[in-house]
Amino acid sequence: MNLRKPLILTVVASALVGSLAISSVSATAASDPGVTSSEIVLGMQLPQTGAASPGYNKVDDAARAYFDYVNSKGGVNGRSIKLVVKDDTYKAGLTISTASKLINEDKIFAFFGSIGTQTHVSIIKDINRRKIPDIFVNSGYSGFYTDPKKYPTTFGGLGTYTVEAKILGKYLKEKYADKKIGILYQSDDFGRNALAGFTAAGLKFEAKKTSASFVAGTQGSLGLGTQIGQLKANGVDIVIIAAVSSATAVAYATASALAYKPTKWAVISVGADATTFQTILGAKGVPAATSAAMLAGTISASHAPAPGDATDEYVTAFKKINEDFNKGVDKRWDNNIMQGMNIAYLATSALMGVGKDLTRAKLIAYLENNGSKLSSAAFAPLGYSKSTHEAFTGFWLGEYDATTLLAPIDGKRVVYTTDSGTGEVTVSNYKRTAIAADALPKVA
Amino acid sequence: MKNMNLKKLIATLGASAMISAGLVVAVAAPAQAADPVCVTDAKTGTITCEGKLSNGAAYKTMVPSNYDGTFYFWQHGIRPSYPYPGYTPPKGVEQMAPTSVNHKVDTTKSMLTLGYGLAAYDCSTGGLHGWNTADCVEMLNELVTITKSRISIKKTIVYGASMAGVVLTPFIEKYPNQADAVGILAGLTPSVNNELKSGCDMLYIFSVFFDPTIKGCGVMGTKGLPGHMAVLGDFPKVVALLTQWSKDSGALPLAYPAALVGSGIPQRSALLLAGLIAGLPTKSASFDGISTSTLIPEQSINATLAILQNTGELLGTAYFGGQAVSEVVGAGFYDNTKTDFASLLSDADLGRFNLGLSGDDGINAMLAMLAAAPRVTGNAEAMAKIAALDKAKFDTSKPVVLLSNEADRLVLPGNTPLYLNKAKASYESKLASWEKKYAAATTSSQVSALLKSKPVWNTVAMYALTPETYTKFTAAGLPDSKAAISPSGVGHESFTKDQLMLWVRVLASSAKTGKVPSQGVMSSLLAATPYLNTDPDYQPNELKYQD
Repeated sequence: MNLRKPLILTVVASALVGSLAISSVSATAASDPGVTSSEIVLGMQLPQTGAASPGYNKVDDAARAYFDYVNSKGGVNGRSIKLVVKDDTYKAGLTISTASKLINEDKIFAFFGSIGTQTHVSIIKDINRRKIPDIFVNSGYSGFYTDPKKYPTTFGGLGTYTVEAKILGKYLKEKYADKKIGILYQSDDFGRNALAGFTAAGLKFEAKKTSASFVAGTQGSLGLGTQIGQLKANGVDIVIIAAVSSATAVAYATASALAYKPTKWAVISVGADATTFQTILGAKGVPAATSAAMLAGTISASHAPAPGDATDEYVTAFKKINEDFNKGVDKRWDNNIMQGMNIAYLATSALMGVGKDLTRAKLIAYLENNGSKLSSAAFAPLGYSKSTHEAFTGFWLGEYDATTLLAPIDGKRVVYTTDSGTGEVTVSNYKRTAIAADALPKVA
Repeated sequence: MKNMNLKKLIATLGASAMISAGLVVAVAAPAQAADPVCVTDAKTGTITCEGKLSNGAAYKTMVPSNYDGTFYFWQHGIRPSYPYPGYTPPKGVEQMAPTSVNHKVDTTKSMLTLGYGLAAYDCSTGGLHGWNTADCVEMLNELVTITKSRISIKKTIVYGASMAGVVLTPFIEKYPNQADAVGILAGLTPSVNNELKSGCDMLYIFSVFFDPTIKGCGVMGTKGLPGHMAVLGDFPKVVALLTQWSKDSGALPLAYPAALVGSGIPQRSALLLAGLIAGLPTKSASFDGISTSTLIPEQSINATLAILQNTGELLGTAYFGGQAVSEVVGAGFYDNTKTDFASLLSDADLGRFNLGLSGDDGINAMLAMLAAAPRVTGNAEAMAKIAALDKAKFDTSKPVVLLSNEADRLVLPGNTPLYLNKAKASYESKLASWEKKYAAATTSSQVSALLKSKPVWNTVAMYALTPETYTKFTAAGLPDSKAAISPSGVGHESFTKDQLMLWVRVLASSAKTGKVPSQGVMSSLLAATPYLNTDPDYQPNELKYQD
């Protein structure tokens, strides 16, 4: 394209031009980025700030605390683990740019524990194109994991929304057969994935009557008055929520304002974290006692022990490490910290398992071949194999008590297992491996 | 946002700002090239020669006093044949070297200072331009031949921008001994059909959602002035829509301008959907697709504004480029009877822009409308011709250096990785064949001969990126399209001087050594040039069609 006006250009013969020595010498062959004889660099993306950050912004500090603990014990095969974290504020555009920084500036060995379905979907294709391990993603979207040919380097860090919904849906269908069950879900991969699970469990929802949806991200600006009003008007007794915690909080507050008191709320676990729920409502002026009362009686699910379960050995061990090593602003023990610790424990296990000769390809191969044998705090087994990269394949169901503790329904924890496909929901006979006295994984 | 108008949009496509009311008159081609007329600049010593190729098209060469034997031959992009309001087709050599409007850069003087010889020509056939790519291949060859016969040249570099991509790639394959390196700037990867399909898709979607009188690519195909006038009659309908949205977006960023007929879906969602289906960048000169304000509270709204800002140039290309192509291949080159528009939306787009697209319900409703709308049936002969247009094998062994903007809204950035992928496939195929022969070699002479002919990967791509965020908002929180635009990575053929000169220097080095610089060297060079990709594996969004 022509310039419209001739320009008097100051020609600067760059000193670089004369001295530029462009050679065609091949670059020296090198091992995978992010791993040296003394260090392994992992990268995580999450919303550390912004509307979506409450709760989630504790996961990185928790994971780093566990890695620091491991490092204090000599690291993994003589290498310390460094966790580099980028704040994407839950905006996919920043997820893309911060992923580039992690790869090119921080030279990470692998992505680890990144949070968010809508954000991670923006980079997952590129990460896999580059063959970078993408381990223990904090998203339950089954589409990331069930087709390893599509995303060969990505492995889950949560049970899938489909698995959880199938288990929760089966329970609700049987327990509340005489009740009208409805659902509020966010219309994205998360919500759709959960909806598919509930449908697979035999629950039937009628659009615009017992099924209400909203566009993720509008719960704060537009509210959920229309959706909650719809469920109320249609006499829904049992309200399922498949949405993020901020939407759960808005839904409860809206129902309260509309004097709508369903018989029971049932919330997918990532939307039911008690501290996140209370933090969000607290920011709206709702006292903690009130929000705790609102949450009480809500049914949810978990693959791990409840953070408030003082009798659990993993909880005890992780709590101690959290106290001693967590340098985060908010280190109050909760489900987010539990999850951060647990995936760090898993990552340590996998890195140990690969051995001294650590490469990206070997880590992926190890997880496919041996990942299902790894233990963690979870009461459900890991599903990793060559045919699926799903993480926890089971959940136990609980009900929040007045202290915001998720307690097993009927006082007994029963773990159910299934898959993200058409498999039946059955009782799991998985036995969790005890945590070692030093809280380090023991991997051959 | 600035108002869009026909004149401005066309001006972005053409070269001249002069308004002409007349039409270009075809010039009869002389039988053979005449000797050029040369003058020497008394101050700089640069010798400038002007002549005509055998068909009468003008060319020009410039040789500086410190000429080092390296000669660059510039291939310009598409030039419409007929004048528009605000545009006059060129009648001679417009530029000698890469330029950039956004950055007000002309590299001619810098290249001469470095001792490089320059040549350029006006790729016109009988005084007309259009999609005369096959002619350009021959004319460029003639120019190189003529110049080599007049001037001592050690290393020859052919380079160019935009449509030049579909000239230079076939050129180096047809005339492998005529150049030592190839440079493609913001260039199309043969064939143009990939990008035209997306442009035509977008026009079709506009006709379904916004204005059923829009004929889009169906209006193209008549040769000469009547065809030109037909396009000129359809394009303003699109411009009118863009203008209205642009005016409205400044005042009502979340509601412009009205819901689609018969639905509650705002038109902005349909515009975003159309842009995503076409593969338009979700970053533009003014909008980064990320930043938010109190009035633009969600990133996908920002991206919608970027799509709006980018749409004019893409659709302008579709109209005027499509008409030029249709004069070669005939009417009816576009067919969407088998197009699955849903499959053109990526998982990433559906997730990231879900809110801007009005959620799953909105997306499903819009896709249902597209599925139910009557489709465009193409002409089999024209479709076959366009599929075969400017075909290339991507098998040159000469160094090829590409430079592209991350968010080029005219020649979409996905053209560059497509070139790389095709070249890679060719290279790997040749390498596999070579390895087979090498394994079968039994004598030292066979091995020695094979070692000399081992295929070498000889292509490198550079990308100019945007800053992470750069959207400006007014004090009231409205998007500000009048503020300074992104300093890099946006627009067509718009690069900083440093970026352009690095491309030029890498070409010179590659021509000299016969190989593109190593990855390590490239990394150092890229890191030293602001806003170029330091990530050797960086890839912009792929083209939606990759035939």
